[in-house]
Amino acid sequence: MSEERKHRLPSDDRDWKPAKLSVTDKLGLTKFKPDAESHLSIKDKEICHETCRRKYCTHTCPAQVYRWEEEEESISIAYEGCLECGTCRSGGCPYDNIEMSYPRGGFGVQYRFG
Amino acid sequence: MSDLANIPITSGRFDAIIVGGGPAGLSAACTLADGGARVAVIERGDWPGSKNMMGGLVFSQPTAQVTPEFWKKAPLERHITRREMWLTTGESVAKAAYESTDFGAEPYNSFSVFRSRFDKWLAGEARAKGALIITETLVEDLLMEGDRVVGVRTGRPDGDLDADVVILCEGVNPFLAEKAGLSKGVKPESLALAVKEVLALPREKLEDRFNLEEGNGAAYEVIGEITGGIPGTGFIYTNRDTVSIGVGVILKDMVDQTHEAYALLERFKAQPQVQRLIHGASPREYAAHLIPEGGYRGMPRLHGNGVLVAGDAAGMVNAVFTEGANLALLSGRMAGETVLRARACGSFEAITLDYYRQQLEKSIVMKDLKTFQNVTPFLSSHPHFFTMYPELASAAVKELLSVDSLSKADKMHLVIKLVRSQMPARKLMRDLYDAWRTFS
Repeated sequence: MSEERKHRLPSDDRDWKPAKLSVTDKLGLTKFKPDAESHLSIKDKEICHETCRRKYCTHTCPAQVYRWEEEEESISIAYEGCLECGTCRSGGCPYDNIEMSYPRGGFGVQYRFG
Repeated sequence: MSDLANIPITSGRFDAIIVGGGPAGLSAACTLADGGARVAVIERGDWPGSKNMMGGLVFSQPTAQVTPEFWKKAPLERHITRREMWLTTGESVAKAAYESTDFGAEPYNSFSVFRSRFDKWLAGEARAKGALIITETLVEDLLMEGDRVVGVRTGRPDGDLDADVVILCEGVNPFLAEKAGLSKGVKPESLALAVKEVLALPREKLEDRFNLEEGNGAAYEVIGEITGGIPGTGFIYTNRDTVSIGVGVILKDMVDQTHEAYALLERFKAQPQVQRLIHGASPREYAAHLIPEGGYRGMPRLHGNGVLVAGDAAGMVNAVFTEGANLALLSGRMAGETVLRARACGSFEAITLDYYRQQLEKSIVMKDLKTFQNVTPFLSSHPHFFTMYPELASAAVKELLSVDSLSKADKMHLVIKLVRSQMPARKLMRDLYDAWRTFS
């Protein structure tokens, strides 16, 4: 690969290619203990549907917890993979339309490194 | 979840309850337990540190104030002997580096750590001093009597706990400080969203690539093209046999430009100079966290009747020098000392607890935060510092270093012309003046 030669990669790993990790791949590395109930919710579905054109939360959440479902015309919430950073409650949704609390004690993300 | 979280806590009244088992909370707990106070730390994770993440470095001097000679017993990764600052355009990198053999000997200067391990260990130190560490327990609310905090409501059955004072060390999302009316919430312009991966790399390879002597470590901060024109940084820290690599960007600017933080990290990892370092490394963990970068201006009220706020919850982060854990440790210790003093006077009113703010003002915590109070707004209003200047620096150095038929005098002339074409003199002077005002 010309790309690799250009970068002068170490000779012992010449066949190695950088893994293009999707967010799903990334989350697969991290340990979670999901609760049965969600700690995240949308306050007003109308705002997602009518007012918010860019569906900000689908870009700003670093764990891609939020997805716009075309068919249901609403945001779906995969709270099980939430990293509990708080982006969605602090500006990640510019309409302040996401209710976030922390998962109950003993649930949620469990960093082994952190 | 283990059964632990369903067991009622029946330990009665505490002198102090600390919400959150991070550096601030555990440092406060150590101080209080040393002073003979009955103190409980309430942590929502399975163990202190299991919810925590940072780049990240722990600095020796403030940590040693909490547990002397901690480097002999704490789970540390590497002592950092070299710091580097990279200005990158994507294609090229201009580097500034500092290396010291001093930093490789006791008492060292800083260490790379994993918070999940370090905080757990620090909790053990606090426990050994007599603090009660209650895990798997979310504090849901504060118990109030009028405008006075008198305890906490936890998610456990019969989970109300009374205390003379509650110290909020709940981290960057200050749910309880907001409920207590101390914080008005943190604004997206003063928050950085950081995403990080831990990549495994065999020890010899890591030391080879980073040009390190055995056991030594390096910490790189990278600004420029990687953050896609948004104020922010990339970072690479060496651990024992892993590398921590991440990107942090100001949340407000990221939202406005709909950049994805994880996509920026992938782009950073793909940069040739970075790829050479992490080549062949296998990913181990992905993490994300907010960093409160509002500094002095973004701070909440630090105390009220029966309540104190410390660490990230109080916005104690120096974004310029990537310091956070040490400010948390110091503020936690001062909160602990304040409570011991209040206990001796038998008053936990705001006026007594104001001693905490006074001590912070006298310490490097507030002095440093005041010095850099304008930096975050400055960088947000000058986003070209992250694009144009790295490009100009790189173009200028490249011109001076590449040998061709032009004389050095002609090259200097070319560089000046290049800078002028990109940057009108008046704007350049304005930037320099703004920067001087902000950083001095």
